[in-house]
Amino acid sequence: MENKIAISANRLTRRFGKFTAVDHVSFEIPYGSIFGFLGANGSGKSTTIKMLCGILAPSDGTGTVAGFDVKTQPESIKQAIGYISQKFSLYGDLTIIENLMFFGRIYGLDGAPLQQRIDEVLVMTGLDKYLNKQAEFLSGGWKQKLAIANGILHKPKILFLDEPTAGIDPLSRKMIWEILTGLASQGTALFITTHYMEEAQRCDQLAFICDGKILKVGTPLSYKEIAPTLEEAFALLESKGQADAKH
Amino acid sequence: MRNIKAVAIKEVIHILRDRRTLMMVIFMPIMQVMIYGFGINTDVKHLRTYVYDQDRTYLSRRLVAAFEHSDYFSIKAQSNDIHSVRYAIDKGKAQAGLVIPPNFSVDVLKHKTTQVQLLIDGTDSTPANVAMNSSQAIVSNFMQQEKLIAVGVMPIDFRPRLWYNPDLKSTFFMLPGLIALVLHLIVPMVTANAIVREKEHGNIEQLLVTPIKPYELIIGKILPYIVVGMIIATSIILAIHFMFQVPIRGSLIDLFFLTLVYLIVCLGIGLWASTIAQNQQQASQIVMFFAMPSILLSGFIFPRETMPVWVHHLGYLLPMTYFLKIVRGIILKGMTAFDLMSQIWPLLLMAAGVIIFSINRFSKRMD
Repeated sequence: MENKIAISANRLTRRFGKFTAVDHVSFEIPYGSIFGFLGANGSGKSTTIKMLCGILAPSDGTGTVAGFDVKTQPESIKQAIGYISQKFSLYGDLTIIENLMFFGRIYGLDGAPLQQRIDEVLVMTGLDKYLNKQAEFLSGGWKQKLAIANGILHKPKILFLDEPTAGIDPLSRKMIWEILTGLASQGTALFITTHYMEEAQRCDQLAFICDGKILKVGTPLSYKEIAPTLEEAFALLESKGQADAKH
Repeated sequence: MRNIKAVAIKEVIHILRDRRTLMMVIFMPIMQVMIYGFGINTDVKHLRTYVYDQDRTYLSRRLVAAFEHSDYFSIKAQSNDIHSVRYAIDKGKAQAGLVIPPNFSVDVLKHKTTQVQLLIDGTDSTPANVAMNSSQAIVSNFMQQEKLIAVGVMPIDFRPRLWYNPDLKSTFFMLPGLIALVLHLIVPMVTANAIVREKEHGNIEQLLVTPIKPYELIIGKILPYIVVGMIIATSIILAIHFMFQVPIRGSLIDLFFLTLVYLIVCLGIGLWASTIAQNQQQASQIVMFFAMPSILLSGFIFPRETMPVWVHHLGYLLPMTYFLKIVRGIILKGMTAFDLMSQIWPLLLMAAGVIIFSINRFSKRMD
């Protein structure tokens, strides 16, 4: 990997009519690190993810994902990334195997290599006992593990996770984070949004976004310089940001 | 190609797992054939008839027998007074009443004009019409047979002949049309639902971030429904031929090929509905909204010739109008694709138009 940077955003902006959903955000995420993207609902998190995944064109600014330009090479980006959303969006009436076979084929895998890779991700996520169960009959935690298994099927070096642990029991969350840190230690870049502070603590870098603007990017430790806890740090940043906006 | 195949395989699993749709696809065609074949029969025969024969002679009984033997009338009762005949018609027990005056045979044999009355319940115009026309034929036939009129040289020997459906069986006319109707009812609905389901369940969100292209998704999803549609069409053709003895006079290859064209139009309608609808219920409503005029204005039940001119022209916008002429033409008349050219090209145009339009619309919505 000659380029150590997995994701870079440079003054990335998206406007919907007069409303600016994402306002000149910039950051760089190296391979092998977990980037936590935090902010209130409607602060521009999902719009940023959509631009980086190549499904929403930026109005302004530039960005590269896996070395591909988000404006001109969205198709190459799609092949290079994995995406896991908060809402279960695989096929409920298909079994685990059938879901993985389908998405695997869409990513260009087939035959024995696909079968082998499916076995790998099933063992990795502990789903191997449920092989032929229809996805809709899985519990929330297992559904999310299936979504992760599906997201990493084609061995993407970059993974986007939009609130992957929302509404999941603590034990499953712990297991999911073990999978995620394992992936990061193998060199995958993870871009993750969450509302859980203990999860934010485990990220290598944290970006805090408010009203489309990134107020701070830094290690969890660097937030401690602002306030004793992350929540308090965010609250302070937010009030400071709003005060700045008024001037 | 690989992506299209992957989607098609997945869609087949969806279809096989979705019991409700599967039941509809299997049983609705058979049910419709049974309903139209056994139930809806517009052939007017065996009208319930009461007879008030005041003559009671050999000749009057022969006239009654002539009515009975025609198969159009079925004598249910002999009445002794005119009131009971009227009462039976009023109550709906009888659809017709035959009144033969006293002195019928005496007058007839004297070559004196006599009056025979047929009372007909005219509430439903179809049987009433049949009763009127057939009774006139029966009586004039009777007069000839009994030599009550001079048999001279007829100036015009007029002999109408019915082609294609000599017995005027309405099942022959209705049943081939079912291929058009059932495909129009089922195919757009299941296609629209299959696509809208992906939206409803959030699957589109996941597909958007995969390398699949919108057209690959659409074609992959549609392909299995082409097979479903052809299975439906085949089961109807088999059912009407073997259960109701509808002859298939034309080429099956022509029939299948043109059914395929019509099927593509139906799929296109479903696809188009799916680009408007937000959920499966809306999709079903949109599809039904367009199915209704097709049933009524295409000539499936009511002949288009009797419609006001503007309604008649409206019928030209409906794919079913053309396809009805095609299936009836091939099945009943043995027409070839070449004979039916004027019906085929509008269908081809519609198929191409609706598919291109819908795929474009769908792609734009996905972006």
